[in-house]
Amino acid sequence: MRVLVCVKRVPMTGGTIVLTDDDRAIETRHLGFTISPHEECGVEEAVRLVEANGGESVVLTLGPTEAEEQLRDAMAIGADRATHVVTDGQEWDPQATASAILEAIRDDEAANGPFDLVVFGNESADAGNFQVGIRVAHALERPVATGLKALTVDGGTARCEQETAGGRDVYVLQLPAVVTVKEGLNLPRYPSVPGRLRAQRKPIETRTPERPAPRLAMARLVVPEGEGKQAEVLGEGAAAAPRVVEVLREIGVLA
Amino acid sequence: MTTLVYLEQTDGAVDEPSLQAATMASSLGGGAEVHAVVAADTAALAPAGQLPVDAVQVAVHEAFGSYAPLAVAEAVVELAGRLGATCVVGPGTERGNEVLAHVAALLDLPLAANCVAVADAGVTRVRWGGSLLEEARVDAPTLLLTVQPHAVAAEPGAGDPPSVETFTPTLSDAALALRVVERVGAATGGVSLADARVVVSGGRGAGSEEGFAPIEELAELLEAAVGCSRAVTMAGWRPHTDQVGQTGTKIAPEIYIACGISGATQHMAGCKGAKRILAINADREAPILQSADYAVIGDLHEVVPAISAAIRAARSG
Amino acid sequence: MSTALSAVALLAALAVATALFARRAHLLYRIVRLGKPTDRSGDLGRRTKAEATVVLGQRKLLQRIVPGLVHAFVFWGFIVLAPTIVMALLGAVDADWTFPWLGHQGWYFLLVDLFCVLVLVGVVSAFGIRKVQRPARFEGSHLREADVILGLIALIVTTLLGWHATQIALGLNEWPAGWSPVSDALSGLFGDGEATEAFERAFVWLHVLTILGFLVYLPYSKHLHIATAGINVWFGRTRARGRLEPLDFEIEDESALRLGAGTLVDMTWKQMLDTMSCTECGRCQDVCPAWATGKDLSPKLLIMGLRDRLFAEGPAVLGGGEATALVPGAVTDEVVWDCVTCGACVHECPVSIEHVDHVVDLRRHLVMSESRFPTEAGTMLRDVGRSSNPWGKAQSERAAWADGLDVRVLEPGDPAPEILYWVGCAASFDERARATARATATLLLHAGLDVAILGPRESCTGDPARRMGDEFTFQEQARQNVGTLGDAGVTRIVTSCPHCFNTLGNEYGDFGGDYEVVHHTELLAELLADGRLQPPVGEEAITYHDSCYLARHNDVLAAPREIVSRIGRPLEMARSGKRTFCCGAGGAHMWMEERGSAINEERAREAAATGADTLAVACPFCTMMLDDGVKQTGGELRVADVAVLLAEALERV
Repeated sequence: MRVLVCVKRVPMTGGTIVLTDDDRAIETRHLGFTISPHEECGVEEAVRLVEANGGESVVLTLGPTEAEEQLRDAMAIGADRATHVVTDGQEWDPQATASAILEAIRDDEAANGPFDLVVFGNESADAGNFQVGIRVAHALERPVATGLKALTVDGGTARCEQETAGGRDVYVLQLPAVVTVKEGLNLPRYPSVPGRLRAQRKPIETRTPERPAPRLAMARLVVPEGEGKQAEVLGEGAAAAPRVVEVLREIGVLA
Repeated sequence: MTTLVYLEQTDGAVDEPSLQAATMASSLGGGAEVHAVVAADTAALAPAGQLPVDAVQVAVHEAFGSYAPLAVAEAVVELAGRLGATCVVGPGTERGNEVLAHVAALLDLPLAANCVAVADAGVTRVRWGGSLLEEARVDAPTLLLTVQPHAVAAEPGAGDPPSVETFTPTLSDAALALRVVERVGAATGGVSLADARVVVSGGRGAGSEEGFAPIEELAELLEAAVGCSRAVTMAGWRPHTDQVGQTGTKIAPEIYIACGISGATQHMAGCKGAKRILAINADREAPILQSADYAVIGDLHEVVPAISAAIRAARSG
Repeated sequence: MSTALSAVALLAALAVATALFARRAHLLYRIVRLGKPTDRSGDLGRRTKAEATVVLGQRKLLQRIVPGLVHAFVFWGFIVLAPTIVMALLGAVDADWTFPWLGHQGWYFLLVDLFCVLVLVGVVSAFGIRKVQRPARFEGSHLREADVILGLIALIVTTLLGWHATQIALGLNEWPAGWSPVSDALSGLFGDGEATEAFERAFVWLHVLTILGFLVYLPYSKHLHIATAGINVWFGRTRARGRLEPLDFEIEDESALRLGAGTLVDMTWKQMLDTMSCTECGRCQDVCPAWATGKDLSPKLLIMGLRDRLFAEGPAVLGGGEATALVPGAVTDEVVWDCVTCGACVHECPVSIEHVDHVVDLRRHLVMSESRFPTEAGTMLRDVGRSSNPWGKAQSERAAWADGLDVRVLEPGDPAPEILYWVGCAASFDERARATARATATLLLHAGLDVAILGPRESCTGDPARRMGDEFTFQEQARQNVGTLGDAGVTRIVTSCPHCFNTLGNEYGDFGGDYEVVHHTELLAELLADGRLQPPVGEEAITYHDSCYLARHNDVLAAPREIVSRIGRPLEMARSGKRTFCCGAGGAHMWMEERGSAINEERAREAAATGADTLAVACPFCTMMLDDGVKQTGGELRVADVAVLLAEALERV
């Protein structure tokens, strides 16, 4: 089977978010980067599916040149090859992202046949737009199930479990299909060193499309207020317990 | 001008985030008429009560017997077209975002998800699960947006209750096929994390799977749900369903007791809905203290059992 | 028997014994040849010194004086009595033959008598230790085999005495009998007739056959150590005990890539030799903090397990068979992860076995080839790689501890400081260890040093990843840091963390990083001696805990004690200096759950038992672990870094 998984390079913010001087980006000078958490599980799932069913997994990202690091990480876990839609570091809005990804998918499918499954993260950790996967599914005219915590592929169908309050809802999709997944789908493996070394040599195809004019355009970023408050220290160590009980009583959670 | 707001409902009552979305929709101004749309499989499930809208349209189709996101979206699109809506609003819940994303794809229009404010110049929406805000301009003839839960307070409608009409949408085969076919029951008993009134969580400071014992003890005394940070899930100490955070469960308790959790932004994004936060941490410089209402400085293995003991004493004494 | 017949008999016996011995020895040699390469060349001076002190001088054995002397008697006896083997071989052929010159030296036969007695004393004492005292270190050792060996040694020595006694009785001795009082006295039991002649032949032949039999038995038993130990000591580490040998990832051919020890053919020849040198003495087991707290790991049993696998599978592999996985077959996963890399085992081992290298190589394979390791440690490995520190905290906050202090943060392009203070991840991010950073910086600035820190550009040295076995991540960190330090023009580094101290000083050299690295206690002691810091003398009872990576791996013992004795009244724990007992954080255990009872609690109890008010440490891990240990055992001891105590003392001026 053929599986495509789409990932995004996001910074690993710590305890506070600091913006650049122009308020248009997060200051990332001393931050590490990773594949957005939902998508890490997507990559692991794609690799597992191909391990079980044979075939090929492809990882794709739309991002700056540095995003190659995330593609290599995904290939170290086991993705066979990668496609890098290279940007100049500027943000692409969800529609632009979706159409660029769509172009890449169409070209790949024309050359290599359809992807049984295209996997997205439910939303990216940073922008959190919740829509790229669904847009791509519409353009491909394929069914899409979102927010999945479990996925089983059997023959030509995918059984998809979406977590809701009080349980899980199940969809059954005919392949080829699109899914968006959430962290908790699986526990991503730690890449082996042979995997990491092989990943250095696996092929990455690059494309550099023009960025269309954004229709959802970020003007500036703002760190929300209320982050600077200081907690009322109720005490230190076990001695604080009585005061805590008082507070719980005041709130009304102490029956 | 017409604004259309999509409402989710459970057992005939409109969900809180949808009420908030309706409130936001009705405050958009410009003299727009606000129509609400709900999807149901019988007309009898039309929402009751005061809604801050001018009219309610119920899309009735047997497909809506179970959740069918594309079908709902097609119904919304049909109605929006009929009404000539200039703005379509939905709740910023998982499903609200899903439905509106389908709407956006069908209409090939931009969607601003999880907005906290809307103005002429554009929208203010949430990034990083709430730890960052984005001011953005939308370039589209029709504005599509979802409303971040708890961004506005729901207000009932003033004046006459809205009129209610039904209609039967025309649905595509694809829409009819994309539906929930089965429900798989909840794994555990106990309090559900997302609904709990009190949540007690442990982080790296718990030290091990066994280290959660005092936390579970306190949770039991308070009839609370037990949560954890991402570090704990990644260490394999607790299942992902217990994880509170941007990529885990978002909680909204009366009080959130965070033990041995440093307060990374992705974790705080999950507990922003908490009315109050009590942080128990040995590090008085931990970031969480800047978001917490109360703090106890100390080792959770000393503090938490002491609190449990004090609660027992208070109850028996 | 005629001389000719005896000669034939002896030659036959010698040939058979030698052949059997050689065949087995050759097999063992071929097995060791399967081992992967490792560079143990050069440093001839130190190697010779090691042979002289450890082998000849029995230095490590004498660390335990009674069993040490027992062994020394037997060993020195073996050396002194060596010429008597030749004498006996030839004497078995011809009773009249005498060893030229030496056979006439009375003083030599005095030595022979003396050492025969000492060997017997040794053997009897050994039996006493094994049968009466029954020390715990023998748990798991093959005691029956040892009894047989001791018996054979006793037999060799008594038959030698018997032979000399009967020779004297028959007047065959070419040395003055009075010089060998024991043999002389025993000769009184024998007349000078035919019976004694028969006894004389019997004694010498029994002596010879016992020796030849022993020779054959040697390579099948742990007595093999008499051949291998000397070689193993020669090839032991001569410098930088704390340095692990790096792996080479730049190899084109993936199948030639060595990622630690997965099967026996991945072991280095030195590791194989290690297993063949083990005598099962159990000294390592006795000092292992994991074993002491009820865990599965015993360094002795680890080496024995690997040895047994080597012997069981080695011949098959030489014949073309496949080697099977060492973990969990020869060594369990638990044993591999229990180790805190404290090196107490290596310090005790009389034959220079390097247990820590074995453990790390086993870990390397599990982590890098199989991704099989305790789940909670995986978070640490990912964090080191992506966030540049093992706690996944934001690097931008790394210098937050220095807020309010006048510490210069080195920006790219700034001139290099005279000395760079490398803070380390623990002191940067842990609330207890931050006090050490603040105190150290304050003291160095107070003393007027031109010191700076790297701040957010300081990233984890990679030590925890390396000790976990993730050599790949470690090397990425090493290269990155060497680059940063090189760009900044740093040549001299002071650090308050012994792990950083060890890695920067001993291990970064393999990656192009050449710096003069000192531990903060060394620098502070120097400043005290120079009078640049003048604290008042203190009276508080302080017990100092030696960090494994400082004292045992790197020989820094005196400097922290100089500071402690200036500012307080020092009290030593029993397990101190190079025999210190680990705090439990080493070997990446800071990030792993501990099964069984806690190492840090054990040490906290030992510290409290000294009666001191303060427990002084010189390592951020020790600070955290021992503070936890004190709290968990309900103690009142204050745990503080030496720098913190010194800074407080200076404030009292």
